[in-house]
Amino acid sequence: MLIWLILIAFLGSCLAGPVSRAADRWAGWLLALLPAGLFVTLIKISPVMERGWVLGDGLNWAPYLDLYLTFRLDGFSFLMTLLITGVGTLVVIYSGAYLSEKSLKDRGRFFTLILLFMTAMLGAVLADNLIVMLVFWEATSILSFLLIGFDGRSARARRSALMSLYTTAAGGLALLAAILLIGQALGTYSLGEVRARADELAASPLIVPILAGLMIGAFTKSAQFPFHFWLPNAMQAPTPASAFLHSATMVKLGIYLLARFEPVIAAVPYGRWVLVTVGGATMLIAAFQALRAEGFKTALAYSTIASLGILVTLIGLTGPAASVAMVGFLFAHALYKAALFFCAGSVLHATGLQNLRALGGLIRLLPLTGVATVLASLSMAGLPPFFGFISKEFLFQAQLESTSALVSLAVIVLVNAAMVGVAAVITLRPFFMGRGKISEVKHGETPGLVMPPLVLALAGLFLSLDPAWVSSNVLRPAAVAVYGEAIEVKVHLWHGITPMLMLSFVVVIIGALIAWYWKSIHLRLRKSRVFEVVDFDRYFETTLETLHLLSARLTGLVQHGDLRTYLWVVFAAVTALLLFAWNAAGLMPRLPQVDALRPAPAVVALVGMAGALAAARARGLLTAMIATGLVGFAVAVGFMFNGAPDLALTQFTVEALIVVLLTALLLAVPLAAPPTRTNTERRFDALIATVIGVVLFVALVDMTSASHGGAISTFMGNQSYLAAKGHNVVNVILVDFRGFDTLGETVVIAMSAVLAWSLLGPRLREQVWSHERRSPFILQLTAPVFFWLLLITSLWILLRGHDQPGGGFIGGLVAALAFAMIALAHGLERARRTLRIHPVVVVGIGMFLALLSGFPGMQDGSAYLTHLWYEGDALKLSTTMVFDLGVYIVVLGGVLAFLFGLQRGAEK
Amino acid sequence: MNLVYALMASVIVACSIYMILSRNLVRLLLGMSMLATGVNIVIFMSGNTQSPRPPLIEEGAIVLTDAADPLPQALILTAIVIGFALTLVLATLTLRAWRAERTLNTGQMRGAEDLGDPTRPGKREG
Repeated sequence: MLIWLILIAFLGSCLAGPVSRAADRWAGWLLALLPAGLFVTLIKISPVMERGWVLGDGLNWAPYLDLYLTFRLDGFSFLMTLLITGVGTLVVIYSGAYLSEKSLKDRGRFFTLILLFMTAMLGAVLADNLIVMLVFWEATSILSFLLIGFDGRSARARRSALMSLYTTAAGGLALLAAILLIGQALGTYSLGEVRARADELAASPLIVPILAGLMIGAFTKSAQFPFHFWLPNAMQAPTPASAFLHSATMVKLGIYLLARFEPVIAAVPYGRWVLVTVGGATMLIAAFQALRAEGFKTALAYSTIASLGILVTLIGLTGPAASVAMVGFLFAHALYKAALFFCAGSVLHATGLQNLRALGGLIRLLPLTGVATVLASLSMAGLPPFFGFISKEFLFQAQLESTSALVSLAVIVLVNAAMVGVAAVITLRPFFMGRGKISEVKHGETPGLVMPPLVLALAGLFLSLDPAWVSSNVLRPAAVAVYGEAIEVKVHLWHGITPMLMLSFVVVIIGALIAWYWKSIHLRLRKSRVFEVVDFDRYFETTLETLHLLSARLTGLVQHGDLRTYLWVVFAAVTALLLFAWNAAGLMPRLPQVDALRPAPAVVALVGMAGALAAARARGLLTAMIATGLVGFAVAVGFMFNGAPDLALTQFTVEALIVVLLTALLLAVPLAAPPTRTNTERRFDALIATVIGVVLFVALVDMTSASHGGAISTFMGNQSYLAAKGHNVVNVILVDFRGFDTLGETVVIAMSAVLAWSLLGPRLREQVWSHERRSPFILQLTAPVFFWLLLITSLWILLRGHDQPGGGFIGGLVAALAFAMIALAHGLERARRTLRIHPVVVVGIGMFLALLSGFPGMQDGSAYLTHLWYEGDALKLSTTMVFDLGVYIVVLGGVLAFLFGLQRGAEK
Repeated sequence: MNLVYALMASVIVACSIYMILSRNLVRLLLGMSMLATGVNIVIFMSGNTQSPRPPLIEEGAIVLTDAADPLPQALILTAIVIGFALTLVLATLTLRAWRAERTLNTGQMRGAEDLGDPTRPGKREG
């Protein structure tokens, strides 16, 4: 059922945009049916809550990752969900009226965001799995960001939105860390189980980081000192959002979290002390700031922070009375503060003015709003017979029964007095004093603007006159859920003459004095320089600037733009790893049996080494290219000597093609290559290269002296003819045993051809290259002969590949060489005409054949690329031939794409 | 003989790394090409290098006896072709870089930097 609740809320929010467009003026009233429906559904299950039962619901989301989508409804969650849906209903109605001048699109956006936020809040307070809770928690942060920055054209709104996002998202990360550590410590993410095993968790060695993470998460969300600065800025949001997010619900998530983890916090000696201290500091600072604030909404924001500080302190206090007081105050505060925000919004909407000193005499213009303000302010001031009075009595009782110091009591009294003062000021100043300051308003009262604050303010009155239902169905179950044991909750307006009543009396007297002298206190506080020290806005700004500066420096350090430095870092790291591995494996390599030195191969190897050194030392690029080619040819000859004719053939062809293709490149670029490195850099590079060379040499010596098992090679040697009907084991491995691998490599060649064409090719089509190349007569004469010879040879190499050295790769390269001959002798255009087809199309045909060849074998259920054979008397046919033909064509097309592209690109 | 080949592979790899560290794009390209060749020798030596006979099953025989190791050869054969393709891709990019920047020195290529300081969007350097 709980999952359905959230799902319906989510689906409803997704429909908010279209619905608000269709309903236009009535959108607020219509959309309010969603939260109202949820509210009624929740009220209907209150009997279950009254008995103290807990509802659970869940899905196995990803059990192998320990993720369970579990939800849980107990008394405290019930209180939160009632506030979320109840206040949510009024907020949606109010938004419809408040945003009446905004465009349809803006209104739709606002409704969507506010209902999505409601969904996220429901998810957060219903989740039992902590990770699920965190997901919803973060969703509220993001939606808060979007709502604060709702007016994206205002720079202040954007800045405030970012500030709240940075702060709450940082807290979210801390919370994530804490939750993961809890999972480490207890092996569970279930909130219920964590509460039950609080002592075990408190004894864990991870408890300090866990508590730190939890508290940072809660303090950032609930705007506790020193993270309180984002909340007053968040007042940039449209007022309904401020009422909903930044006073009634979202900022209470931190309180919710702390209350849930109270058993854990209580089990740690310093836990309660931290809460009382942070809460006390927060409410003191906020109380002064509230008196200092100039704007209506700002004053309310600071008083909200003070209330949140009181709530945190209450969680830190011991005894059942503290839990009762916390729950009661949370409830009362949501009622009167949301109502006051609504009233502030109506004043702002009607006058366009924020400043408390500029407002006055509004009672005649906005009478019903004035009445609601009076009622809500009386509740805020804690005067009987309002609900605020009851909650304040609880507050003092908790303070008196708790074991904490007198200082804390004094702070609470002072802060409450300030709240009385603020309540009086925000009622009297705009509505009753300064008559005539405002003579007309832009907008009068509409039902949508008046109904929500009146409902909330009157609820604060009637619930305290008849508190039986709310105390047994809502407050007691919530207090029990927070405290963890059955407790008695007595909600009465009149308890007789008690110490609590005396304290209330003191508070009201001081509050009245503050209200009387508000203007001079306010002006003195505004002049005071003390508040510059606690200007956390500025600290936030400086921190952000420093972060930007540091990240710019770091980026400059690691992203300096010098390719050489990037590369040597890579090579130096490789060298370090190699040296480490060498050291770990033992310093002495095994020595191989020294075999006889064969003179011819040794000379070829020497030529190869000389070529390499020459290439490295070459001044000009042409020399370097020829020397590199020398290395390739030497290695090819080396392959020849060591029983690898396939490799030798491939290497020879590749070297020949490289010469043709790179010549095209070298024709375009300057051949003289002045040194690009300083002498020091060269020496450093030579050092790195030498070290890698030495380590590689040692490793190779060690490797060759080890025995080669070669089980795979033996298997392939044994099965090549029997299973795959081929005499050339290398080719059989390529087309059959490792056919899939070869297919992948063919795809790589095909992709590189497409890349080459997209970089160099397209211009080929624009203009036909008219002039033919002037090349030596003898070359022109012999080129066609070579072309046909090479082409026929390539096909022969392809066809015999399965039994003799050869195959698709080599054949394709030789065929490409044939076209290179034509290009050299008669120019590019002739070569293109000879090919007739677009090289990329050639690649496509080859790819198609190679891919196709794998299918016929699948008819009897074998794997893809299992080859089929037909063996007649004189003829052997197989799908391997199709596969190899595909490879041949892809290689041919790929090389030609490069050949045409590079030559054309170089000519331009 | 193996020692000679080990030395050859090491010298080729060392020289190609020295070339790769150059700021000249064509040198880098040639170095990459040579590095592929050097590494191929290393792969070749990882197999059984005892016999100089090609891994071809003789006419009439059904299994391979006394021949060079076929497995590294198959690996190297594709490696040569892929290395070739890589060299050509680098050549293509080098040509484009030369066309765009009129320099082969990676230290002087400013195309990305001219887009502005990434930490200060909107501000372009001259």
